[in-house]
Amino acid sequence: MKIIGLILMSFLLVFVAGCSDNQPKSETIQSEEHNEAEEHTEGIKLSDEVLQEFGIEVKEAGPGVIKNHIDLTGEIKAEPSKISHIVPRFAGIVQHVNKTVGERVSKGEVLAVIESNESLTTYEVTSLIDGTIIEMHMTQGELIGTEAHAFTIADLDKVWAILSVYQKDINKIKVGQNAKVSIGSIDNDEIGKISYLSPIVDEKTRTASARVILNNRSGKWRPGMFITAKAYVSESKAQVVIEKTALQSIDDGPVVFVKDGEGFVPKSVKVGKENDDNVEILTGLKPGQQYVAKGAFTLKAEVLKESFGGGHGH
Amino acid sequence: MKNIIDFALKNRLLIIVLGLIIMVAGYLSYKNLPVDAFPDVSPSLVQVFTTTEGLAPEEVEKYVTYPVEVTMNGLPNLKTIRSVSNFGLSVVNIYFQDGTDIYFARQLVNERLTEAREQIPEGFGDPQMGPISTGMGLILFYYLDDTTGKYTLEELRSIQDWLIKFQLQTVSGVTEVLGIGGYEKQFQVVVDPNTLLRYDVTINDLVEKIKANNLNVGAQFIEKDAEEFVVRSVGLTQTIEDLNNIIIKSEYGTPIYLAQLADVKIGGAVRRGVQTQGGIGEVVSGMVVKLYGANSSTVIGRVEQKLKEINKMLPEGVKIVPYYEQKSLVQSAVTTVTDALWQGIILVIIILVLFMGSLRPSVVVALSIPFSILFAFIGMSYFDISINLMSFGGLAIAIGMMVDASIVLVENVDRIKRETTTEESFIHIVSRAGKEVVQPITFAIAIIIVVFIPLFTLQGVEGKTFGPLAYTITFAMLGSLIFAVLLAPVLSSFLMKGKKKGSESNQEKKEIWIVRKLQKGYEPIVKFFINQRIAAVILAAIILIFGGIVFPKLGSEFTPTLQEGTLVLRMSMAPSISLTESTRLTLIAERRLMKIREVANVVTRIGRGEVGAHTDPINSAEMYIILKPKDEWRRDMTQTELEEIIRAEFGEMPGALTNFTQPIQMTVDELLEGVRAELAIKLFGDDLDKLKSKAEEIASVIRKVKGAEDIQVDQVSGTPQLRIVVNRHDIARYGVNVEDVQQVIRTAVGGESAGQIFEGVKRFDILVRFEPEFRTTPEAIGQILIQAPDGTNIPLSQLASIEEVVGPRQITRENNQRFITIQANVSGRDIGSFVEEGQKVIDENIKLPPGYLVTWGGQFKLQQEANARFAVVIPITLLLIFLLLFFNFGSVKNSLLILLNIPLALVGGVVGLWLTGQNLSVPSSVGFIALFGIALENGMILVTYFNQLLREGESLDEASIKGAMLRVRPVLMTALTTALGLIPLLFAAGTGSEVQRPLATVVIGGLFTSTILTLLVLPALYKWFSVKIAASEM
Repeated sequence: MKIIGLILMSFLLVFVAGCSDNQPKSETIQSEEHNEAEEHTEGIKLSDEVLQEFGIEVKEAGPGVIKNHIDLTGEIKAEPSKISHIVPRFAGIVQHVNKTVGERVSKGEVLAVIESNESLTTYEVTSLIDGTIIEMHMTQGELIGTEAHAFTIADLDKVWAILSVYQKDINKIKVGQNAKVSIGSIDNDEIGKISYLSPIVDEKTRTASARVILNNRSGKWRPGMFITAKAYVSESKAQVVIEKTALQSIDDGPVVFVKDGEGFVPKSVKVGKENDDNVEILTGLKPGQQYVAKGAFTLKAEVLKESFGGGHGH
Repeated sequence: MKNIIDFALKNRLLIIVLGLIIMVAGYLSYKNLPVDAFPDVSPSLVQVFTTTEGLAPEEVEKYVTYPVEVTMNGLPNLKTIRSVSNFGLSVVNIYFQDGTDIYFARQLVNERLTEAREQIPEGFGDPQMGPISTGMGLILFYYLDDTTGKYTLEELRSIQDWLIKFQLQTVSGVTEVLGIGGYEKQFQVVVDPNTLLRYDVTINDLVEKIKANNLNVGAQFIEKDAEEFVVRSVGLTQTIEDLNNIIIKSEYGTPIYLAQLADVKIGGAVRRGVQTQGGIGEVVSGMVVKLYGANSSTVIGRVEQKLKEINKMLPEGVKIVPYYEQKSLVQSAVTTVTDALWQGIILVIIILVLFMGSLRPSVVVALSIPFSILFAFIGMSYFDISINLMSFGGLAIAIGMMVDASIVLVENVDRIKRETTTEESFIHIVSRAGKEVVQPITFAIAIIIVVFIPLFTLQGVEGKTFGPLAYTITFAMLGSLIFAVLLAPVLSSFLMKGKKKGSESNQEKKEIWIVRKLQKGYEPIVKFFINQRIAAVILAAIILIFGGIVFPKLGSEFTPTLQEGTLVLRMSMAPSISLTESTRLTLIAERRLMKIREVANVVTRIGRGEVGAHTDPINSAEMYIILKPKDEWRRDMTQTELEEIIRAEFGEMPGALTNFTQPIQMTVDELLEGVRAELAIKLFGDDLDKLKSKAEEIASVIRKVKGAEDIQVDQVSGTPQLRIVVNRHDIARYGVNVEDVQQVIRTAVGGESAGQIFEGVKRFDILVRFEPEFRTTPEAIGQILIQAPDGTNIPLSQLASIEEVVGPRQITRENNQRFITIQANVSGRDIGSFVEEGQKVIDENIKLPPGYLVTWGGQFKLQQEANARFAVVIPITLLLIFLLLFFNFGSVKNSLLILLNIPLALVGGVVGLWLTGQNLSVPSSVGFIALFGIALENGMILVTYFNQLLREGESLDEASIKGAMLRVRPVLMTALTTALGLIPLLFAAGTGSEVQRPLATVVIGGLFTSTILTLLVLPALYKWFSVKIAASEM
């Protein structure tokens, strides 16, 4: 009867062994790479060919300037002190009109002749300033009253760019800052200084206006034009400035990969001022240190490799 | 039972006709059987996909996944529901019990889907069921090769989506064609926000206006004279020009056209997948998905034919290049086994001719092979088993066994015919000979079938893999039994008759030379053992001890991986990677691969294309390596060797993990949702952050448990988010609603569809979106203006906080609850005790908030279930075998003697594995099972004859010697045919051979030792196990 027992035992043995000792199908290559990833805590070593293949660029950290700007929109207005409204002194019939819209006139130049209703004599309407007629409401033979502006003359040699500043930006804008004003998408811009920032905010638009005075001899800034502007709000010198693409975040904190001997290691940094392209490093990096400016993501991925090996994403 | 022989011999014509009918029916079944590469191990599963453009995982889960999941609860036959909410995609997998009809399951899901659709908010996507297919359904991948280089990726994708796809979908058996790569063409209205401000229009006005100017209507008909005229108004936008001329607003009679506000152009839609090729650049590609249950090889044939036709229709210079075809796999898998089948048949016939000494009996026996195979086909078609590696493999394994029953019968006829001197009619001789053996062969075959019972109880992947094999072997054995009992006597009565008269005069009683030689050598040995019984016991003991020593040296593995012949290198990159960066890395990797000598081309899929087949995130790239013809290789290599070489030359990829996989394996693993580790600890709960932190705590305590290895917490987070949180106080001040803000964010940053443009039947979306420079940085997004009801424009950053955070990468749920998996392997101790200890340390050390739950699962659970099942099934099987033996012999002692075969056969199998350096695995276990059946069969033949001789009055020793001498021929023949029938599988190197080899090794090795036992030890031990009734009967 022992034989039966033996048979049973061996039968079961084969089955249990055959079915239960299943090794997990962990691919060998994966585990190999795990080990390598662990070694990398010492520093990621990459050959020059690999650096080139992956487009990883190393640069030197150094002092620099960080400029910041604010994007604003606005419109061109004529300077109020350079506008004159001409109103007929007496109501009467317009005898003839000498000038028309768009013509340049000089101070004292006769614009029109009106026959007064009261005196039935004619008198001349003259310009008060040198400028361009931008509006005219007068035709020959018209009976004209004394209420309406007959002519609006503006001196457009200088115009104002009135920029709307949203609440959030008001504190950054200061009188004297440079602003680059441009007309829409056309590459046609001019730099002026902010000469005024209104002390109040418009109740309706909730914006404050800032003013930039622009030269307009060429006449390209036409009042009413919609413009955009970049106001350069700050410009600061910094000891260590690096390219913004070098910043990576690991464990919710910013790091920069620096060259340490043969390999690259992630260095935690504290970030100061920044703009679209550059960033100031307050702590963690010294001037003259070699850092990875481009392709740092590959290095970050290499550091995190261990963690994303297991859970293939689904 | 003995009457059957007489019945058959009396109705010879009827039996022949019956045999022919079965063979014809078998052939017809064969013609209609689907051909696949491997058995389909995909689970019964219905997938529901929902694409929701631009939504983060949290929102996908809340608005889409949850309603779909909830409505699916309580479906009949439902096993489990798992879901993954990714960025912009919700996948709900509804698993049904194995064996559930897939169309029934789909119908159930579809009914509930209508309910789910109602619960998903408008504009959050429409849930759709995946294609009616399985993991084996991806039968052909192709890419578009543009030799002219003048077509843009949008144009190529349009060719794919509107020409090739439609053509291929008409092919019968193709259920879906999924495009990926390039860009889906789109009419893009690119808006400059400053221009909007200038004209005082909002971006939503644009969307409304475009929608309102793109319409055709019907207005019934008018009667004119005696005719009817259908009235229709045509106002569809057809070109960019039309779009440009849409009037957005009019100031004092001056119209403002769309052209003034935006740049309208053709561009590519947002995509989550890219296809690259050869390290050169992007291509457009497509995947053909086969309909569930369709015949792979014929569908592939039809698709290829269609591709030829389509190639002619394509523009000059563009052609379809298939880069992966299951056809080659199907062919090579079927070739591997068919070759083995033919070689086996030839070897078997050679043995037959050698031992029978003449062609005619050999023909009778050999005919058993086609008959059994054709009979098996009938069974296969009845049970819906396709022709594949495993089912055909079963036939190849069984070749040698199919002839066994007939060998015993025909050999007996042959022997009796030689011995008979009287003028006994030949039919009578056949009948006598048949009656002598019909009972033992019936029981022997019944036993072979019974030993396969445990295989039928295998579940899951193994069950589906080895089920077809068990079925075909069983059918074939049944067929061989029918042949041996009914046809063999009839055929021998026809075919062997003439021979007798010719040979009688000069060669009476003479055996064939080879048998004579054998008997001459065998006689002294068997006499020695019968006289020195202790020697026989010692021999058996030595063999057993040897087996006992070797056994622990065997390694073990699960089912060896089937080599599909297609190499796929999968690269996993950082989860937060952008598609641009992952494309760049992939191209670098492709260029490295292209430098390897054996590689002809590399085609890579990154992420996913049209939903239906893959749901990979964009950090996953699958590189299909297309090899050069073998003669251009540096040397001949197996797939594994080649992988080694490629791995070495490919080298290390910084920032990415690479591993080799195979197309079908990959798809099936994905469907199985496989946690491939032994242990999977699942933590269920609601809060993602808590889940993550608690899971890490669990991992850290489990790590300290003895035997714990490879502990890994699923990476569920890691996707950076730009989170815009609307400040309710701030918007209140301006009288703005949250939705107003969000609507602008969605349109400006993500883009909003404003209808479609029709080009014939093709339709393309119109997408309104900001210019990239005004939406691609957090600063720019903060500058987006929101218009308050009173017309004030407020920058977004004044109404909302914009922060960069790390969010979830995906949210996985099972049975309506979020969960996170902690994977572990266990080494050096028993898993059961590990789990116990693990549960204890978790209970002691970790405080879970209410509503949180830990479950233990993984492969170990499946094994435990399997072991529990086997613990019941195997004793029952053994009992059944014993009962069968007992019924046959009517003696416990005899039955035990036969069972002695099992341990000795085991030793041979174990040694066979050890010598060839193979492991214990599921296929080798299957080999052991087959082995038991065969080993028992031989013992039965011998012992039956001993008993018969005893009954005829011979003494015990004489009976043993005479029996052994006379039965050496059939025993050797059955053993040799079985073993030689398997030899081709042992040496096969083709696709799928790695699964068949361990099986063949075990059977051949085991047959070797069990034949020694049968021929040497059994006769010796017979004395101790003989039946006493022999004497009383005298």
